Amino acid sequence: MHVFGFVVNPIAGMGGRVGLKGTDNVVEEAIERGAEPVSGERALRMLKVLVRARNECKRELPITWVTVSGNMGAALLEEAGFSSQEYTVLHECADITTREDTKKACREFQTHNAELIVFCGGDGTARDIFEVVDAETPVVGIPAGVKMHSGVFGVNPESVAEVILAFVEGNLGLSEVEIMDLDEIAYRKGEWRIDLHGIAVTPFEDSYIQSAKMMVRGPSEEELKKEIAEYLLELMEEDTLYILGSGSTLRTVGEELGIDKTLLGIDAVVNRTLIGKDVNEKELLRLLGEYDRSTLIVSPIGAQGFILGRGNQQLSPAVIKKIGIDRIMVVATPTKLQQTEALRVDTNDSDLDRAFSEKKYFRVITGYHTMAVRNVEVQVARRSLEKRGGIF
Amino acid sequence: MKRNPTVFLREEYQNLVEQNLNWKLRVLEGPSAPLSVVEGKKVIMLCSNNYLNLSNHPNLKKAAKEIIDTHGAGSGSVRAIAGTMDIHMEVEKALARFKRTEAALVYQTGFAANSGLIPQLVDKGDLIISDELNHGSIIDGVRLSAADRAIFKHRDYSNLEDVLNEAEKEAYRRILIITDGVFSMDGDVARMDAIVNLAEEHGAMTYVDDAHGEGVLGENGRGIGAHYNLEGKIHVEMGTFSKAYGVVGGLIAGSRDLVNFAFNKSRTWLLSASHPPQVAAAQLAAIQILESEPEHWKRLWNNTTYFKKELKSMGFDTGQSETPITPVIVGESSVAKALSDKLFENGVFALPIVFPMVAKDKARIRTMMNAGLTDEDLNDALRAFETCGKELKIV
Repeated sequence: MHVFGFVVNPIAGMGGRVGLKGTDNVVEEAIERGAEPVSGERALRMLKVLVRARNECKRELPITWVTVSGNMGAALLEEAGFSSQEYTVLHECADITTREDTKKACREFQTHNAELIVFCGGDGTARDIFEVVDAETPVVGIPAGVKMHSGVFGVNPESVAEVILAFVEGNLGLSEVEIMDLDEIAYRKGEWRIDLHGIAVTPFEDSYIQSAKMMVRGPSEEELKKEIAEYLLELMEEDTLYILGSGSTLRTVGEELGIDKTLLGIDAVVNRTLIGKDVNEKELLRLLGEYDRSTLIVSPIGAQGFILGRGNQQLSPAVIKKIGIDRIMVVATPTKLQQTEALRVDTNDSDLDRAFSEKKYFRVITGYHTMAVRNVEVQVARRSLEKRGGIF
Repeated sequence: MKRNPTVFLREEYQNLVEQNLNWKLRVLEGPSAPLSVVEGKKVIMLCSNNYLNLSNHPNLKKAAKEIIDTHGAGSGSVRAIAGTMDIHMEVEKALARFKRTEAALVYQTGFAANSGLIPQLVDKGDLIISDELNHGSIIDGVRLSAADRAIFKHRDYSNLEDVLNEAEKEAYRRILIITDGVFSMDGDVARMDAIVNLAEEHGAMTYVDDAHGEGVLGENGRGIGAHYNLEGKIHVEMGTFSKAYGVVGGLIAGSRDLVNFAFNKSRTWLLSASHPPQVAAAQLAAIQILESEPEHWKRLWNNTTYFKKELKSMGFDTGQSETPITPVIVGESSVAKALSDKLFENGVFALPIVFPMVAKDKARIRTMMNAGLTDEDLNDALRAFETCGKELKIV
């Protein structure tokens, strides 16, 4: 029997339709503006796929849920058709719930050895969970928030159910994904900033190789990251400043180099030696002044495939111009890349945006001596906000 | 260190069993036929690759039986030493004639052709450009080469063009573009005309794995080259005798230069024994049938068209297939598995393909048509789909 945690943030997504970019700290305002709950219905859609799998399709569903009372979990499980023997309430919440309820629940899930935490919410909820669970516990999110930059979310509730079913059957590996969030307070003051808060693990399909009748499992995400790293090491030139972006693929590059690379920050390497750790824009500009040649290596981060402009504000227009856009290398594992339609950039600089548009595409290193090519899309934060009804 | 040298065998197998990931072999009692007996149950076979039902053709069986009396049961050696018999040469001659190419070569299997030839065609300083959904044997062949690799988006030839343009920055000695002909999950077909145009612009070699297209695509089943009127323009047309031809074995067709190069260099060809004479005789008979009895090929396509049309009219989603591989896309993995089980109970053998093998919302039953199925068989199969589909509220 698998023990899975289940928690729903009942207020997630309420800000979207009433023009708020999230409900962090402004839930009363959202309700006043006429916001209606959305997350319960989305969580139910996911649960109903599981119940149908068991009841109508006779699929085994060896899951015991640990959850929260009421509309944060138990009521939804009950409504979907799980019996009270199939779940245990580990945390009782009051009528008005807060992020502390999510955190307390997840701490309890961990105490009860939950193998997977399934939550329903947005970037804020993902962050709350990430703050309390250990880095090894996989997390998967049913998308219901206004902001969903983090990589833990399924495309829709039904796809999360498929992930859970495949995970139960042992058909999925794990991969590291970014937890990202818009700084909402800064945003309401007119400042746009998406921060990278951490790296969580989520169930993930390893590469699969098509064969005549079935698929054969290929190398895992971790092995592929090592391959990428090995190739990058071969490509590295002497006396060149390498600026390594954030995320787990580039951390693996750091491991292969034998340096203590930060996971969330930007680091600088010359001749395989770390010369700047978690550097800011000023330090980057100083280093760029010292070296004739430089290369920036980045990986798409978060759910939308951004290589610049999300979670790496240190890579400012001045920094990118100094490096030169032809000296940007992009790396990504094939499975990740398959889910990345285009590489997105948001530089906040019209000259650079034009230069990226003209460049049209980037070479992406996806393995040892292996490349792909992906179009680059220039995205301007505010414009995209309006276009996509707040989900950006 | 004191090791237990073999304990992992059982442990790893047990892990697979516990996770329900081990292969459970389904045993056919008797031949692979349009109506087969699988584990005691008579079923309409919709998951074999025996598209033209040639494995049961009397000429193939007769040819295989008779040659044992004159040539024995085995070939005795690898082709390069003493294992090339007259029948092997006859097959290759007939194959080149049928494929309308200068020459042809038979490998032990399709896998042996890909994994043996690809790494010889390109080496360090060269580039292989491969469709992201190519078959596992191509991927293994590519991995055996020291060449650089580039992957293009599935059937996205503007992405292929970008890759070629990017590749030109590196001054590669040779470039090889490689693709499946028919992609076996969706039944979609590579646009060889687009690939050949791009390849000609860049001086790249073209290689197509036409395993599911040999005997199926093109006039009388001559394959993907004939399908696009590109005979002689694709540098390597690779295929197999194990699917529509109804036997076993890999094949390549192309120029005399290609064949001379291939058999002198492919380690798989050089280091495994040649086919026993009864396999070669059945291969030859299959080619002759394709040339002289077009009715099997016509029947396959008539069956395919009818089956797809009827499934669609019942409300099933049959995807983008252009071939006798018809996916019945149901979305949820549980529904696909349940549909496969119910179909089997109703006398139809077709397997589910689910996430993570296909996208999360694209779980399906994959069906493969057979020319030996009668109208009555097809209607039985369709009735089973309708009954089970309604029970599961798919249609």
